[in-house]
Amino acid sequence: MIRNILKRLGVALATVFGASVFAFVLLRKVPGDPARAIAGDGATDEAIAALRKSMGLDDNIFVQYGNYVGSLFRGDFGFSYSTGNSVGTLLAQRLPATLELGLLSVVFAIAGAVIASSIAVYSRRRWPDRFLRISSSLAMGSPPFWIALLALLVLSIQLGIFPGPEGRLSPGVLRPPNVTGMFTVDAVIAGQWGTFVNAAWHLILPAIVVALGPFAFLSRLYRNQLRGTLRETFVTVAQSHGLRRFPVYARHVAPHGLLSLLPAASLLFADLLAGSLLVEKVFGWPGIGSMTADAIIQKDFAVVQAVLLLAAILYVVVSLAADLIMTAADPRTRVGAR
Amino acid sequence: MSHTNALSFPPPSPSTGTAPGVSQDRSQDRGVVLQVKGLVTDFNTASGTVHAVRDVSFDLHKRQRMAIVGESGSGKSALAMSLVGLVPQPGRVTGGSVKLNGTEMVGLDDAGISRIRGKDIGLVFQDPMAALDPLKTIGSQFVETIRVHQDVSVKAARKMACDLLGEVGVTDAKRRIADYPHQYSGGMRQRVLIAMAIANDPSVVIADEPTTALDVTTQAQVLDLLAKICDERGNALVMITHNLGIVEELCDSVNVMYAGRFVESTSARALFESPAHPYSKALLNCVIDPATTKRGALPAIPGSPPDLSIDEPGCPFAARCPIGRDEPRCATERPESRALASGAVVRCHFASDIPGDEA
Repeated sequence: MIRNILKRLGVALATVFGASVFAFVLLRKVPGDPARAIAGDGATDEAIAALRKSMGLDDNIFVQYGNYVGSLFRGDFGFSYSTGNSVGTLLAQRLPATLELGLLSVVFAIAGAVIASSIAVYSRRRWPDRFLRISSSLAMGSPPFWIALLALLVLSIQLGIFPGPEGRLSPGVLRPPNVTGMFTVDAVIAGQWGTFVNAAWHLILPAIVVALGPFAFLSRLYRNQLRGTLRETFVTVAQSHGLRRFPVYARHVAPHGLLSLLPAASLLFADLLAGSLLVEKVFGWPGIGSMTADAIIQKDFAVVQAVLLLAAILYVVVSLAADLIMTAADPRTRVGAR
Repeated sequence: MSHTNALSFPPPSPSTGTAPGVSQDRSQDRGVVLQVKGLVTDFNTASGTVHAVRDVSFDLHKRQRMAIVGESGSGKSALAMSLVGLVPQPGRVTGGSVKLNGTEMVGLDDAGISRIRGKDIGLVFQDPMAALDPLKTIGSQFVETIRVHQDVSVKAARKMACDLLGEVGVTDAKRRIADYPHQYSGGMRQRVLIAMAIANDPSVVIADEPTTALDVTTQAQVLDLLAKICDERGNALVMITHNLGIVEELCDSVNVMYAGRFVESTSARALFESPAHPYSKALLNCVIDPATTKRGALPAIPGSPPDLSIDEPGCPFAARCPIGRDEPRCATERPESRALASGAVVRCHFASDIPGDEA
């Protein structure tokens, strides 16, 4: 067991290292000169050259990478010249908003996928399954930012059910006292119910839009897994023992589906950090995604690098956790079994 | 007219003493436990309707051991599943009747048939490796099976399960009951499944090729166990198989299935001594005797089974039959079942139980 965990930790570290190298090299190979961007259009060539030197951009790429990793270990994620803040500060400000959005969309996606596919598979009628298949195809095929725009247009502007793209709270509503940085949670902690409702109202629509793609993917996966399990001999055997349809489904079919859902769901969770990039932008959601979108346009290397690295770490941690849970949940892989 | 095994049970001839477990005592009890009449099962596929079971009828008596033999695709398994209403999609029982202890099973809803499955009729499946839920312990699956039909506590059910596991030869059952299926060998799993099938003391046990997936040495043990259990508990047994050796060793009567129909129903003894239907003869010719078979090609029945989605007008075996090949009647007129002097019931225009008399 210990050996197994160590092995997986090793792989996890290697993945993070790979991601950091990839992010570093990629961003230095894209066209465009950050020094020129910082100095502005009117700057002389000499000024730009001096700036490049002071930023270390003229150094050997290995030296640059060494400096980068060195400062990472000192807790220094670099400096965002486009906002004038340290990247660490930016992340601390932005991360709670993204986590709040991401967590709720993960809940929406998983709960929606499990409920919808269970109904589609369990129902004796054909239309729920057809409906799920068609709607999940549509959801997977449509770009999230486009759905976001459409949702805003119809649900906010036309119908007025949800607020417009004004961020996390209506203008004039005060932020709840900071505990977790997630406004809905903080509002509950502080007992400010009005603020909670307002924050939730702002949160739901972007969370649904972000959840749509993962929902479509997970529901297809879960549906197919359920249908596959239904054809297994042990399901027929359980029926032959006299179990009725629902107990067979609940005790012998659904657990297999959920087990297969776990790794996929964990990967999606890691995806949501970067995945909701444009959706955050559309909704004016002040999270990591909109920050990254801005940073890419501004060629703000330090920010993009930090986000990529953060996504890699999150991805690795979540999938490691999912692996360990899977190993513990499936008796066939449980260590110590004879 | 429907085909019934009009053969009186027990078979009229005195039993041989060689077959293990085939005792004379069993045949005293003559009540019919399972009565099947005109059973039809169709599979509606995109490329047409496959008639897997066509007008099958038989009576199964208390303590009787009946075999259903036939090659792959003859409809044996579809028949077994039809008896308990578990035909896989897109299959459906479209006609006929299955009466278990007088209760009609065809057309029952999920609740109705679930009360009967496992309690009055037990099933043993072909592949023990796939027949147990890999995520649940043997104990929890066994307890579940018992508690579906019996109002007992989990603890009591576990005790019953332990006893049954011991009875089928699982050593150290108290400890092994907490294990998962993957910790059991194939033969052991089949023993567990047999124990589960008889846990609620059904009057009929259907075994659908129960040893096909096992290795040869285990096969014999599992068959002996099945025979012993049915003997001790008085269950009637329907053995679905393509292994004629099993029929000879284990069963009293036998139905030969071809293209979804019973083409010959007779006593196991009579089948091996004087098969009446040309298909039965061809099947028996394919049994290899290591002492006499020469090296080289194994005996086989020429041709292949008919397409079950076509309802041909004549005898489905005609094209492969040494008699039917040349007889115009076999190509145009479907043989109805008729009883021969020996008591065997056949579907053939020319079959006779007097050797050399046909054609």
